[in-house]
Amino acid sequence: MPPVPSGSRWIAFSAVSLLLLAVAAGVAQSPAEAPPADVKQLYDRSCASCHGTDGRGHGPAADALNPKPRDFTRGTYKFRTTASGSLPADEDLYRAVANGLPGTSMLGWKGLLSEPQMHALVAYVKQFSPRFATERPTPVVVTTAVPPSPASVERGRAAYESLACGACHGNAGSGADAVAGGLQDDWGHESFAPNLTEPWAFRGGRTATDIYVRLKTGINGTPMPSFADTAKDGDLWDVANYVVSLARKPVWEMNADELKAHYARQVDADAASPVQRGRSLVATMACGHCHTPADSEGRALPGLNFAGGVKFRLVVWGDVVSANLTSDNETGLGRYSDADIKQAFTHGIKRDGSRMLPFPMGWPAYAHLTPQDQDAIVAYLRTIPPVKNQIPPPVRPGVFAYLASKFQMLIGGKDFPIVIFAGNAGSAGTPAGGQAAVVR
Amino acid sequence: MKRIVKWVALAVVVLGVCGFTAFLYFVPPLMSTAPEEFINGEAAMAPAVDGIADPALRAIAERGRYVLLTTECTGCHVTPGPQGPMPDMYLAGGRQFVTNTHGTVVSRNLTPDPETGLARRTDEDVKRVLRSGVFPDGRPISHTAMPWAQFSNWSDEDLHAVVVYLRHIKPVRHEIPPPAPGVASEIEPGAFEVVSGTDAGKK
Repeated sequence: MPPVPSGSRWIAFSAVSLLLLAVAAGVAQSPAEAPPADVKQLYDRSCASCHGTDGRGHGPAADALNPKPRDFTRGTYKFRTTASGSLPADEDLYRAVANGLPGTSMLGWKGLLSEPQMHALVAYVKQFSPRFATERPTPVVVTTAVPPSPASVERGRAAYESLACGACHGNAGSGADAVAGGLQDDWGHESFAPNLTEPWAFRGGRTATDIYVRLKTGINGTPMPSFADTAKDGDLWDVANYVVSLARKPVWEMNADELKAHYARQVDADAASPVQRGRSLVATMACGHCHTPADSEGRALPGLNFAGGVKFRLVVWGDVVSANLTSDNETGLGRYSDADIKQAFTHGIKRDGSRMLPFPMGWPAYAHLTPQDQDAIVAYLRTIPPVKNQIPPPVRPGVFAYLASKFQMLIGGKDFPIVIFAGNAGSAGTPAGGQAAVVR
Repeated sequence: MKRIVKWVALAVVVLGVCGFTAFLYFVPPLMSTAPEEFINGEAAMAPAVDGIADPALRAIAERGRYVLLTTECTGCHVTPGPQGPMPDMYLAGGRQFVTNTHGTVVSRNLTPDPETGLARRTDEDVKRVLRSGVFPDGRPISHTAMPWAQFSNWSDEDLHAVVVYLRHIKPVRHEIPPPAPGVASEIEPGAFEVVSGTDAGKK
């Protein structure tokens, strides 16, 4: 081994000292110490696009999400280990931040953020509600589990019936024959009882203990009550075992034959509830992305859901404005026949016979929807409450402007971008106040 | 006599130019193409799943293809070329968006290319993007350029099917640049997004 030059020794010494300093700095940031100084910045960057910088659960991306992001200002939390109506324990909030809530957009931040950062976010989120200053969470008592057995499952089935769980979740847990409809949460959003045969999407976890705790605590802010005082503790364990037994196989565990049967069943289920299927398609195909006008941050303008009015500037082609998809008779789709609507979104042909460009509206892709899915979309669009918003017709540039830009494009190779404008170009205008107009 | 011929020839040329201009203006190329041509072109780009040996995986991928095709992911993720989307670059990305909230972003390469595509990402990484709009490094994704908030409404099973299909399309080497600063309303007053038609990626 060649002798180490003294210069290198100094470098090594400095490197070790720097490392020690870095470790010391890391220790200073452990959860026992003060939270990271930049917690507001961390929250604004990681959480605010859904929960809002003000914590009201109405960030710019919130409108398209189902379920809606938590409004931290009320201190009402759904998935807790504490009594009905009580505040959540810090561990409950930490669990949501670190592991996420399955089946929702709330991701697990473990691995993306450090432990001190996650603990700091829990503390930051709590300060949005004054309740945390005056109240203490009341934990529920988790008794010894009743082991799962055919007898317990059978008792659970009986208790499930006597507690009328099926009113919302359906008799077999899939919700198919549920009698309760139009459920709402405390924020006025539609609330859907989860399908109990799909435990991978249980927000609060899928084990018997998780389900027992849910039954005991209820889900604050939603129609799901607590059964802590209305049922015997043993019954709750039995119901939990019964719910666990309802699980069906997810597609990623099915073989080819099971998949074929599953997808066929899904088509039948979709046929039986076209509005629900249409709602899901319209949401996932992002129709509202262009047909609901937004402010400059991309936040949906209140009261204009699916009312159109987003202006697109397509140089060479001119200005086009997205159509009003609500059921309004004068300005929306109210007087369109089913065939008119389908012809528009699958072939780009409007009711007056004029053609649409193959962009920005992707009708060449939507043409590949099955006839059943096309009908489902029409069925759902018919249920959208009417909004009066007259959409101006497309405006083409003059002949000379057209030729000039066409020339630049063909000869000069100039790329004219598509410009999308904020605000509503329809007759309803842009509601004053934007986000402040929404009271939540 | 010669003068008359000259004038007639001039008139024919002028009329011809005017006529061609009028034709271009009133019957523009895209508007005179039959809708079926666009519709068939859209489906032809999305590879079939016949090549997948495992029948279960094939069935799931078929569902994923249906979801992906009818959601028009190609609108943003196909590489823009001088004559429209490049069919051999299916979902290789490269379209540039200048947003108001997230700077200048470029649609990502969704093909399973090992260096520039999704082969670098786990299923969890891809699902997190589609469900929660967060990149594997924790960076938030523009919800206006990429409608992840809408796609978050896919069921877990459809989300899974989309990822399975993406794992089985043709890998294309196409490097997408990282986000950069830039605000749409500075380019065009009142705009909240400016969408370019030129490929911003590197082959």
